[in-house]
Amino acid sequence: MNIRKLTGNLSKRFSKLQKIQRFFIFLLASLAITFLWVVPAFTQQPVTISVMIQTLEGTQWQPIVQGFNESHDNIRLEIIKGPNDTNLVEDLYTSAFLLGDAPYDLAYMDIVWVPKFAAAGWLQPIDEYIETSEVDLSEYLNGDINGGTYNGSLYRMPFRSDGGMLYYRTDLLQQGGYEPPETFTELMQISQDLQDQGIADWGYVWQGKQYEGMSAMFVEILEGHGAYWIDPETREVGLDRPEAIAAAEFLYQTIQDGISPPGVTTYAEEETRRLFQNTDTVFLRNWPYVYPLAQDSEISGQFAIKPMVHEPQDSSGACQGGWGLGMVATTSHPDEAWEVIQYFNQPDVQRQFFLETGYVPARKSLFNDPELVAQYSYYPDLLNVVENSALRPPIAQYAQASDILQRYLSAVITGEMTPEAAMTAAARETRSVLGS
Amino acid sequence: MTQDAIRQRERRVGWWLITPALLVLLLVFAYPIGRAFWLSLFEQNLGTELTAEFNGLGNYARLFGDGRFWRSLWNTSVFTLVSIVLELVLGMAIALVLDKSFRGRGLVRTAALIPWALPTAVMGLAWAWIFNDQFGVVNDILGRIGLISEPITWLGDPFRAMLALIIADVWKTTPFIAIILLAGLQSISSDLYEAHSIDGANPVQSFFQITLPLLAPQILIALLFRFAQAFGIFDLVQVMTGGGPAGATEVVSIYIYATVRRYLDFGYGAALVVVTFLLLIIAVAIVGYLLSKTRINVTGER
Repeated sequence: MNIRKLTGNLSKRFSKLQKIQRFFIFLLASLAITFLWVVPAFTQQPVTISVMIQTLEGTQWQPIVQGFNESHDNIRLEIIKGPNDTNLVEDLYTSAFLLGDAPYDLAYMDIVWVPKFAAAGWLQPIDEYIETSEVDLSEYLNGDINGGTYNGSLYRMPFRSDGGMLYYRTDLLQQGGYEPPETFTELMQISQDLQDQGIADWGYVWQGKQYEGMSAMFVEILEGHGAYWIDPETREVGLDRPEAIAAAEFLYQTIQDGISPPGVTTYAEEETRRLFQNTDTVFLRNWPYVYPLAQDSEISGQFAIKPMVHEPQDSSGACQGGWGLGMVATTSHPDEAWEVIQYFNQPDVQRQFFLETGYVPARKSLFNDPELVAQYSYYPDLLNVVENSALRPPIAQYAQASDILQRYLSAVITGEMTPEAAMTAAARETRSVLGS
Repeated sequence: MTQDAIRQRERRVGWWLITPALLVLLLVFAYPIGRAFWLSLFEQNLGTELTAEFNGLGNYARLFGDGRFWRSLWNTSVFTLVSIVLELVLGMAIALVLDKSFRGRGLVRTAALIPWALPTAVMGLAWAWIFNDQFGVVNDILGRIGLISEPITWLGDPFRAMLALIIADVWKTTPFIAIILLAGLQSISSDLYEAHSIDGANPVQSFFQITLPLLAPQILIALLFRFAQAFGIFDLVQVMTGGGPAGATEVVSIYIYATVRRYLDFGYGAALVVVTFLLLIIAVAIVGYLLSKTRINVTGER
């Protein structure tokens, strides 16, 4: 039977039906059309807000994402999982923004990306939203807010924080009868003495490989010497000032005196952590992630943390790290994107996240939160560390400036150049990049 | 129809037939190269808020005075030359051994290829640990033999870091050369060696008078492949040293990557690419010319 015959038959049968039956069929048909087609077209489709984050953290975000999607019918938060290596995530964001038409509405950013992304015009400031939603920024750590600010506008809402600090072995210090050091000189003396007595294998390990972590480490040494790298206001370079040269000299000296193993010139965070856990090393400069890992190792319960040491007349600063959400300039749903940010701002949401992950909060009150402290007893100490933070220069050409510093600092600690010659050259090159 | 007319028509058909291939080549080679050159005439970076501003040969002038670029070019050349020479010598030795028949040759041949098959980034990480000063295998072995009393920081010294990179690269890519040379060796007829030995030649003479000249095409191919690859080395360096210490192992591709992707300095990055490309072409041309001359001399052919 062909189609024409079929339709002919149907229409014949249809006209044979009685009037009332015909009416019912029309009614059914129009109802079906209304429900299946007209109603969905007029009611709002949920808006999708997408953000790319490292796969590991993306998995940890799952409860928050679920909570958000359940409480918001009109918005769907979508996580795009990127590589775990943060450099690669930065590259992926960069490519997406460069090619235009980025598929992301929000960007989950490391603190050092903010100036570059903002200067390139890839982010929009969130000051107006902060004002209308009456968000109290003073509830967050100062460094996290400052690091998210570029040219006076806030581009990144902090979520989790990070900061460098000094780990020390309590048992070794006790054996030698020492208190934790406050100054660079004390750190050197204690190390030397414990090594001479055979109590410790190494005095102090830090990140000396030529990479970004070295810049972060050096920011703390600079701060402790009362020196600065680049003044973000005046764009003045301070690397060739006597205090900065003294800072480089200190690092060189730790290797010369045998306090640090010669290999620190090749170590990143992980190598130093392993050395600290597996040998008798008195001091380690590292980030908070080491704490729970070391707690699981042989030195469990035999170490503690404190802010980095400093010169007697100066104070210490922890290199500010951390992550937060910024709004992509090209998003077509800024209001919905802001709602996502607002959801992440809630103390309860954050408490739950940090309880599960053990990351460092950016919200100050969480460090003394009873629930969190019950699980992570070191959080109050951590607040003490990260409250005094030192920023890496929040300038657009930061990556370039950091590479220059890394190369010359590496030349200092490997004995290729004297601290004075290297820092002078680094300052000169940095100035030419900044055009000042 | 005359002979000429037929030939002309054939030539025309020939051109039609290679047109698609030419178009593809233009699209994937000529266009990107031309585009890179065009981009290199502009200043486009964070200073110009990523808009392209024409500045003529300004990028090239800046490149001329950029010590970091020349240093990276020097590092790349050292790395390339030393590693290729070592790989060629070792690869030849391995190929000669594998060319002889012995028990378990198939197994050895397959095993020899493993380093080549492993991902470079993964092996880079492994080598970084092998050369680690505290926990590294190299220091452990040297210490047990009694050659060293203090651990050596391999990756923390400019000279030794380069050495470590070269060792890792030689380990990884020697099998590639060995396999290419082995293929060449197996195509050489054994009659030649028999005849030569009847003439009173010893194996060393056979190697230099028969094997080497007849293997010249394979050697040339292996060298060119390796040259191009080694000159563009990125992953191994990125993982093992990141260009350090003190920039002593920074190769050109790492510098270009940093300039474009991290500093967002596109115009200058394009200029770096163009200059590196030209230098590479010139180097390949010179090497190719020299090799073609020696080949003619050795075989005595024209």
